[in-house]
Amino acid sequence: MASADPPVRTRELHKRYGRHIAVTALDLCVERGQVVGLLGPNGAGKTTTVKILTGLVHPTSGTAELFGVGVADPAARARLGYLPEHFRFPEWLSGLELLRFHARLVGRDPGRHDAHLHDLLALVGLAGRGEERIRAYSKGMTQRLGLAQALIGSPDLVLLDEPTSALDPLGRREIRELIRGLAADGVAVLLNSHLLSEVELVCDHVVVIDRGVVLRSGTLDEVRTTSVEVRIRLDRVDQRIRDVVACHGRIVASDDQEVLLRTDDPEAVPRLAVDLVQAGAQVRALVPLQRSLEDAFVGLVRREEP
Amino acid sequence: MTALPVTRLSLREAVSRRLVLIGLVLSAAFLLLFVFGFNALYSRAVEETAGIGGRRAVAFGATMITVLGLYIVRFLGALLAIFLASSAIAAEIDSGLLHAVLARPLSRASWLMQRWLAFVIVTVGYVTIMTAAMLTIAHGIAGFTPLDPVRAVAVMALELAVLLSLGLLTSTTWSAVTSGVVTFCLFGVAWLAGIIELIGDQLRNQTMQLIGIATSLLMPSDALWRGASFYLQSPSVLIISRQEGGGNPFAGTAPPTAALIAWAVVYAVSLLLVAAWRMRRRDL
Repeated sequence: MASADPPVRTRELHKRYGRHIAVTALDLCVERGQVVGLLGPNGAGKTTTVKILTGLVHPTSGTAELFGVGVADPAARARLGYLPEHFRFPEWLSGLELLRFHARLVGRDPGRHDAHLHDLLALVGLAGRGEERIRAYSKGMTQRLGLAQALIGSPDLVLLDEPTSALDPLGRREIRELIRGLAADGVAVLLNSHLLSEVELVCDHVVVIDRGVVLRSGTLDEVRTTSVEVRIRLDRVDQRIRDVVACHGRIVASDDQEVLLRTDDPEAVPRLAVDLVQAGAQVRALVPLQRSLEDAFVGLVRREEP
Repeated sequence: MTALPVTRLSLREAVSRRLVLIGLVLSAAFLLLFVFGFNALYSRAVEETAGIGGRRAVAFGATMITVLGLYIVRFLGALLAIFLASSAIAAEIDSGLLHAVLARPLSRASWLMQRWLAFVIVTVGYVTIMTAAMLTIAHGIAGFTPLDPVRAVAVMALELAVLLSLGLLTSTTWSAVTSGVVTFCLFGVAWLAGIIELIGDQLRNQTMQLIGIATSLLMPSDALWRGASFYLQSPSVLIISRQEGGGNPFAGTAPPTAALIAWAVVYAVSLLLVAAWRMRRRDL
């Protein structure tokens, strides 16, 4: 590797369309071998962020670099593979011809790299279909071809904007395995997806943004445990116990033997245990509930709503 | 081979989308029509005229029919240029064809120049082949020899380059239809201004001449055609036309001036550069 600069780094990235603010003060870093999921509701600024990284959209202010090279310089994209969200390929080309065209765009002579292109077709499940016209491809096949196109020239960074939206569950699983394989080879992957379960299965890092602002970023577990729910089971629940519990968060539900507590602080659980014992409560169970990424996501985005 | 990938793809597109095939079939039909029409008119004219005056009239007629036919070729070439350029940018961005391409390590200016080059090859190729075919037919039937066909095609190529640059520039902002209409309108206005200038010359009306010149600055297409048409006529006919102070809306009686050629080159290059600049600034 030529440099130690991370595949993606943005600092204080802003993008404004007239009066509409798409991205605000976005700091993002993707390291080699990481699979980072960019999450957010519709209009959160995910696609704008990816388009800034690919040089398709110019930031209003701030810097964005790929491998230490500013995105305004086409050379920044030399090691980049990109699958756009709404893409179309010339329908009069065959799948293989499209790949040859993109191989030329990254400076590879398709005549000498034809084996690489055939390998890519096989990798995305299109072995033997490369000679067919794109016109005859199904939506899923087109998306697979788009993925193959993004992997031409063995890029070190791959940006995928909704890469599995047209695929069936089996196809999604194949693509997940493919992404994990890329990461294992040290390729950095930035993935935009609405499918949170998908992100949960494939990403090791997650960035949640809404209205152009990063709400939370970190490893999958860090983001998932942003707020914890704890089920507390006692011999008897009275007002005094509820007051003790309420010091550590918000009581979501309670009956005469159980309290369900929600807290933003993962460290609250051991302290709660101590407090309960000191208050003389007979603790039968104290269970932090495993939350899905979706729960965490909904919690984060809802909290920001005015 | 990795050179000029966008140009190669654009040329491939012209072939794959049957543009070339349909163009060839229609052009062959047009040439066939030209052969029959020219032949019929010419043989009739030869039968009905005699003497030196008659021969002159026949030569004049042969020149005019040939130049009119070539005017149509030039018009079709111009239409082709306007259609190709107008749908090249905004329409492709809107349909999502460009995103994956421009995310490659390729500058937008390079993409645009490569597209332009492909369109120049297609349109100039068309006009060159058609002009060569028509002049061959006219020579075969009537022995017609133009003054300088190579120069004529060179000036016609410059007109196509001008139209392509303008079409690409308008297409950085507008949809295919709007861009095409705007470019075609300017093309039409230039033609009208050419007629006004011609009448102005004959009436020695300065205002009309000025309108013509000003419009040629705004859009040099018609001035270029009149310049090209000078080289397409036979020398003997040109002498007659110039003596009569004539010329007509389809053919000029003077070669293009150096100033016009220089202006057209500057025009085509600067419009293309502005298009590249606009393209670079655009969010896709």
